Amino acid sequence: MTVVVVVVVLVVAIATYLTWLASRLDRLANRVDATRAGLVAQLTARADAARSLARSCGLDDLAIAAERARAGHATLLAEATLDATAEDAENALSRALRSPAVALAVGRAAPGDVHAVDAAAARVALARQFHNDAVGDVRSLAGRRLVRLVHLSGRRPLPAYFEIDDAPPVREDGPPRPESSAEMPGA
Amino acid sequence: MKIGLACPYTWDVPGGVQAHVRDLAETLLDAGHDVSVITPVDDESTLPPYAVDAGRAVPVPYNGSVARLLMGPVSAARVRRWLREHDFDVLHAHEPTAPSVSLLACMLADGPLVATFHTANPRSRFLTAAQSALQPSLEKLRARIAVSEAARRTLVEHLGAGAILIPNGVAVRAFEGARALPRYRAVVGVGDSDGGAEGHGSEDGDSPGGDGPVVVFLGRIDEPRKGLDVLMAAFPLLVEQVPDARLLVAGPGDTEAVRSRIDPSLLGRVDLIGLVPEADKAAVFASGSVYCAPNTGQESFGIVLLEAMAAGTPVVASDIDAFRRVLDDGRAGRLFGVGEPAELAARLAELLRDPAERARLVERGRAVVARYDWRVVAQRIVGVYEMVSGDSPVSVAADDT
Repeated sequence: MTVVVVVVVLVVAIATYLTWLASRLDRLANRVDATRAGLVAQLTARADAARSLARSCGLDDLAIAAERARAGHATLLAEATLDATAEDAENALSRALRSPAVALAVGRAAPGDVHAVDAAAARVALARQFHNDAVGDVRSLAGRRLVRLVHLSGRRPLPAYFEIDDAPPVREDGPPRPESSAEMPGA
Repeated sequence: MKIGLACPYTWDVPGGVQAHVRDLAETLLDAGHDVSVITPVDDESTLPPYAVDAGRAVPVPYNGSVARLLMGPVSAARVRRWLREHDFDVLHAHEPTAPSVSLLACMLADGPLVATFHTANPRSRFLTAAQSALQPSLEKLRARIAVSEAARRTLVEHLGAGAILIPNGVAVRAFEGARALPRYRAVVGVGDSDGGAEGHGSEDGDSPGGDGPVVVFLGRIDEPRKGLDVLMAAFPLLVEQVPDARLLVAGPGDTEAVRSRIDPSLLGRVDLIGLVPEADKAAVFASGSVYCAPNTGQESFGIVLLEAMAAGTPVVASDIDAFRRVLDDGRAGRLFGVGEPAELAARLAELLRDPAERARLVERGRAVVARYDWRVVAQRIVGVYEMVSGDSPVSVAADDT
């Protein structure tokens, strides 16, 4: 009798633990999906901002890089992983945004266009950090021996980190400064 | 936006995290957001209208000081009810590694969760031990924010988690245009150009120790890491170079012990005023020609430097990482080698003799401070909220884990 009770308790405990692990994995998978969607949205916003800057200043190389990056975004959203081709296109756009031609054009461009590109570039870096943090959390939980042993992740492939060079362009006047003294009372 | 903020430490006990949550909440409210804070509190009448009581916290010795913590079914029920009643677009938990309300909120909620990590602690045995217990709650966070590079390093090393960096804000408005303490208004400091410029002394009695330039120190006077000893060793050397220099020392601690170590010939030049109320901090900074931060320990963030700069006082600080970063590598304030009284005295003397350079530092200081203005910092935090929220509001987790 005692043996039966012990076995039942053990089985229930193990099942509860595994269910709990599975629900954590589920939640993490959702977080990866949500952060990937967020990352793609920011990449799209950056490409769009780059395209308008390119148009208003006649920067052909930047326009091409923006188009290439933009072309990949639909597949990025549809597919479960972000692949190397997408990374290449985004790297090329980051480089184009930092190119001397763009730095020169910044003086002529409408400040709004430049600000939009810089803000979008900064948001890409944040979105990528959020995405990669989620991927890191999945990989550390899915890598546990018990999780692999009982195939808790099912057939879900391990999500991949999205590694691009997203360093934002550096402007001559340093980091974007808030409208400090202008709006401060008493300054 | 409907924003829920969880604060882990007792609201009516002074502390950096509580101040951060309060300033953030009030800035967000000013910007038109809908904000509710849940926090432990001892005296419920001290709670502002936007805050909700999570219960009384229990003091526990932790990490060399006393942490007041709160876990248990009653608070869990309160947190759950708070979550149900508000339908937040985003839940922002502060310091969710402390066993208190923030951790409870992370355990109980599901959806757009954001957390800010405040502590920088390179060798936290607590975090190392608790890592696997904290992991399930921390992995719900869609965005992790660290207030300093050191806090981020702590997070990476102990919990293997990345984070973005958004610094603490400074309530710039509380420091702008500060006037010197009444007794110091006779001095023409940079931050106080209108106070009885030609007068010797003022209507409030003679200014202590003459009317020479004033070096200000603010911090615990018996906490070695705050470095008052370095400044005390530098002061006689400074007087050799600037004979009428004076020293104003504010902060809690044993003032008599400090006084007994001062060279009697200099006693008249050193004004030890002890603990000053929070409301007088700006005036203390404004009383100085220079503010000195001789800290010898690693600080995670130089908020006091920013406050001094916001009050319009140039800064001389020891060359530790956090200070170097805040002072823009020495462009917005002078740096000296950690624990080097001779170098400190030289830097102070240079600045006290050069009002034009002081004015330049004050200008650059203002530009630096603007980046840390709560109104600017809160905007960046709202940017994070916008990036993680959207699909569905914060809900109470089905499995309560």
